Amino acid sequence: MNYAERFFRQSEYWYNDGLRKANIRDLSGAVSSLKRSLQYNRSNIAARNLLGLVYYGRGEVVEALVEWIISKNLKSYENIANYYIKKVQESQNELERINQAIHKYNQCLVYARQHGEDLAIIQLKKVIQAHPTFIKAHQLLALLYIETEQYSKARQLLRRAYKMDITNPITLAYMHELSQMHKQKVSQLKEKKEETVTYALGNETIIQPVSASLKDNAAVLTIVNIIIGIVLGAAVVWFLISPTVIQKKAQETNDTIVELSEEIAARDTQINVLKEELENFRSTDEEAQNAIVSSQGTQESYETVMRVKELYDAGETSNADMTELLLQVNPETLGEKGKAIYDEVAGELFPLMCQRYYENAQEKMDAEDYAGAVSDLEKVIQMDAEYQEGNAQLLLEEAKQKVGETE
Amino acid sequence: MLNFEEELKKFKPSLEVEDIEQAVYGENLEDLTDILREMMEQSK
Repeated sequence: MNYAERFFRQSEYWYNDGLRKANIRDLSGAVSSLKRSLQYNRSNIAARNLLGLVYYGRGEVVEALVEWIISKNLKSYENIANYYIKKVQESQNELERINQAIHKYNQCLVYARQHGEDLAIIQLKKVIQAHPTFIKAHQLLALLYIETEQYSKARQLLRRAYKMDITNPITLAYMHELSQMHKQKVSQLKEKKEETVTYALGNETIIQPVSASLKDNAAVLTIVNIIIGIVLGAAVVWFLISPTVIQKKAQETNDTIVELSEEIAARDTQINVLKEELENFRSTDEEAQNAIVSSQGTQESYETVMRVKELYDAGETSNADMTELLLQVNPETLGEKGKAIYDEVAGELFPLMCQRYYENAQEKMDAEDYAGAVSDLEKVIQMDAEYQEGNAQLLLEEAKQKVGETE
Repeated sequence: MLNFEEELKKFKPSLEVEDIEQAVYGENLEDLTDILREMMEQSK
């Protein structure tokens, strides 16, 4: 076997290897194998066409076209490269869009090198939107996200890139880096968590650093927990149970007050009724007393009248004494018969006695015995209020006035 | 930790449509047969 034949076989071997890798989306591995195949035999059309196809799969359309054009130059007929070139050229708009995306990618590379990460990120997002299979753009954007600490976005992009090319060294390196960062972050969080104690107090979660003594001494921690439990229990009693008990007691007190108020009102009503009854009894009693007094007065008046009549008939008693007795009698209380006797005796005695008392009074007035004059004149008026056509009344008034001046 | 600057160096500009002709002509098509032939010529 000569060298040329050996080289052809080696070329075929690496072509097959590249084909196998391309079939499992190991595009980077496929590129490597296919390039090696072409190093053994540059005229291995299948290998070159496949290399172009793999480039196309990675979004590197122009690199793919280069390989297909070279392939076409090496073998211009019965070459599938013709078909590929034709298909790409058929969709000029698509090619233009992809070319624009590649152009922007190259610009972003410049921005990134000039520390224009933000601008590069914005442009790369557009590149990926226009050309979703462009793995290099994914990787560059992921790198920028990592640099700007947007790890979740970077991870998302790298996953997409990984699906398109499972052995790309850049993709794998960045994924590994993110994985390391994640592990580091988790361990830091774990350490932080171990340095703190978290517990719930009421509705609030308390996070406090663990002191060395607490960490080492579980018994103290238990006691602290018990104290917290007691405090919580006390708080529950204070805030939940006590108000209910107090409210219940207040309600009971209110009920008692209402009952007592009603009882007091009933008693008041009862007292008023009793007072009214008592008043009625009192008034009835007064009337009865008056009636008794009246009847006694009537009896006495009647007896006095009868006695004066007897004295008058006997003719042994002076007119003055009989008149004195008669003046003690209230004629209004007498009956018809008593009144008749009274009028008869008074008719005989009073005119005589009025004249005598009046003359005595005049004499006493002259003697400035005004009190005596008043006494005499009052008797005159009692017997006859209009005596001497009212002169007795006038004289009485005058006497009384004189008595007042004297006093 | 990744070195951003170093990583950026790994990214090369991608070919644009305008670069196709230059890329085709600039492609190194030399294979082992060519190298071997050259070596044989040199040995003569």
